[in-house]
Amino acid sequence: MEMMPGQFLLGKLDDAARWAQSSSVWPLTMGLACCAIEMMSATDPQYDLARLGSEVFRSSPRQADLMIVSGRVAQKMAPIIKRLYDQMADPKWVISMGACASSGGVFDNYAIVQGVDTVIPVDVYVPGCPPTPDGLIYAINLIQQQIREGGRGGIFARA
Amino acid sequence: MPSPQTPSIAGTALDPTSLRPPIADAEIIRVLPAELRARLISLRDEGLAMLLDVGAVDYLERDPRYDVAYHMLALSPAMAGKGPVATPRRVRVLVGVPADATTLPSVADLWPNADWAEREIFDLFGITFEGHPDLKRIQMPYDWEGHPLRKDYPLRGPAREATPRPAFALKSNVPAGAPPAGKVAEALQRQIARARGQAEPVAPKDGDAK
Amino acid sequence: MSLTEIDVIERNNEESTMTLSMGPQHPSTHGVLQVMVKLSGETIEKADMEIGYLHTGIEKSAENLFWTQAATVIERMDYLSPLSNALCYVLAVEQLLGVTDRIPPRAQAVRVLLCELTRIASHCVWLGTHGIDLGAIGAFFYAFDVRENILDLVEASGGARMHPNYIRIGGLNGDIPRGFLDRLDELIEKFPGRMVELRTLLQNNPILRDRMIDVGILSPQDAIAYSVTGPSLRASGIAYDVRKAFPYSGYDSYKFEVPTRTEGDAYARFLVRLDEMDQAMAIVRQARGRLDTPGPVMVDDPKIAPPAKETIALSMEALIHHFKIVSEGFRVPPGDVYQAVEGPRGELGYYVVSTGDNRPWRVRTRPPSMYNLQVLKAIAPGNLIADVVVTIGSLDPVFGEVDR
Repeated sequence: MEMMPGQFLLGKLDDAARWAQSSSVWPLTMGLACCAIEMMSATDPQYDLARLGSEVFRSSPRQADLMIVSGRVAQKMAPIIKRLYDQMADPKWVISMGACASSGGVFDNYAIVQGVDTVIPVDVYVPGCPPTPDGLIYAINLIQQQIREGGRGGIFARA
Repeated sequence: MPSPQTPSIAGTALDPTSLRPPIADAEIIRVLPAELRARLISLRDEGLAMLLDVGAVDYLERDPRYDVAYHMLALSPAMAGKGPVATPRRVRVLVGVPADATTLPSVADLWPNADWAEREIFDLFGITFEGHPDLKRIQMPYDWEGHPLRKDYPLRGPAREATPRPAFALKSNVPAGAPPAGKVAEALQRQIARARGQAEPVAPKDGDAK
Repeated sequence: MSLTEIDVIERNNEESTMTLSMGPQHPSTHGVLQVMVKLSGETIEKADMEIGYLHTGIEKSAENLFWTQAATVIERMDYLSPLSNALCYVLAVEQLLGVTDRIPPRAQAVRVLLCELTRIASHCVWLGTHGIDLGAIGAFFYAFDVRENILDLVEASGGARMHPNYIRIGGLNGDIPRGFLDRLDELIEKFPGRMVELRTLLQNNPILRDRMIDVGILSPQDAIAYSVTGPSLRASGIAYDVRKAFPYSGYDSYKFEVPTRTEGDAYARFLVRLDEMDQAMAIVRQARGRLDTPGPVMVDDPKIAPPAKETIALSMEALIHHFKIVSEGFRVPPGDVYQAVEGPRGELGYYVVSTGDNRPWRVRTRPPSMYNLQVLKAIAPGNLIADVVVTIGSLDPVFGEVDR
């Protein structure tokens, strides 16, 4: 997008749509365990996720863009996560926050699904147990970068 | 003072609860399954109205194989509104459950909180409780097979027991030995070249003008 | 009926009641809980709960790790107060080892200090999220600001904000760093002002009072029958606090009160927790006063305490002890013990069984949240569905502990 003389802003509609989408990524309240507390801490005054556009966390999957799977995924919870992911409207992105959601973490046992990406597709993985809110903010920045630079999203909301 | 180097009795038929050091954490009473309810009721009449917890242990080689521990505390509703509670009496009732008769009478009618505790013991150990209102699994999905906290149940579950650790090493879609690729890797290569004072690798494309 | 087949809404035509499934993904159930409420209009007739959505197999994992390593997974049970979990487990193992009387006083003081700070931090999360459930979103930011200061202190001493594994068997993993006490003093000075702000925001707010007074009333009989402990029990009149009844880590040498109320409703539980935050800060002040003189922070038993790094290069015994402790752990004599501490949610207990091995044989948790939550079956009926949200919040469950 460039500024033309006479104060016209010229650019592609797709870029404008991507700029809007990346500036208002609204996460789903998918807090499972300890990482959920750090996700809540990312919205507190010290880290403040709202200034990056995640002003509200939507409880309904229909209204959310981003699912932050924060915490360990138990056997009983896996079908629920799949159902919630299916209920989210396109375009949607997924952050797998923490070691447990990314790969099972410290819990290599019968009860934990070894990585939520066995259930839903993941865009960004955040290591840590739990990752500090800085890590989550960097992950959301990467999601914003992904939205701006291609792939899902845009004017036609390609899935 | 017991030494931390005393030999292990794991896998033997010895009973750790009879070899315990002299710790004054609770009065310990051991009963048979048939006298369990009567003993708990008589303890409740002595003032131990609160059933803190019901937990099970699998000793595998010992006979009886399982122990179920009922932790009781002497608190009563009459203490409401009175001052701080001084040291109430603690009792631990241990019941041995043999491997061929894994059943106990339920106390969920006497203490409603035993409902979930007994369901959990059924789910994770396979000990059934007669008289329980709704004995079904609580932690694992309803169609799970096996009782996970038994000592002969593998840690990683029977499905994954034979897969190598760590599991995520099997999932990478990048072939082993491939050079790093992608925007972040390119940015890193540029940064490394700058730090070494070398020429930076050519930027692959010009981005959209913003 | 399988969980994936539950209908969200099921109409019973004969009685015109409706069964609604709240959860497991719900903004106000404080974690993964499924409450199936049978409603007639908006009034609840029956509330059934389904848990297990966070079952992690922590107890089985602990059986396969060394005694010190098991503390890392055990810390992740009640993830709002990890240091309390660690302390309870460590105290149980120290009883089996027989070293309870030899823990240095400086280590005890730091343990008490951090556990009380953790209690305040946990109550801050409770306060913030309870406020959000009720619509008072602004209090969340004030409460979490206090929590961030506490997490900075925990990170400075233990290395991680949330699960530092700092409280070790025998003492602590190293002394508190330089500058810790200055930052602690700043927090101690700032805290009363923050509490005044939080109380001003919430305590006498007429909407909060309307929503919490006479809601979710828990009678002492129900509390005992369901083995409710902690602030929920003390709000119903029974002043049972494990720190007073069965003192550990030197709690009998600290002066503090145990706030108690008799009404038993959500507002009483709210006030009890606010008062507990003040009492916890009083204990923190007293513990802070004991930290001015330096001293050891680990028991001087080379079989369980890793030697100081400087001695490993100089002493053969230190090298061998370090090697054995790190590669195969130490063995704990056989026996069983039940150790309880007063966590922010109530009596947290561990029933630890050792067979003389270098791994625990069994770590059974007595989870306070599981028993506190079960009481919802008894106190939800008769209330409106909006009151279920208030009640769950006032019972303060943590699902890492309920499901383990």
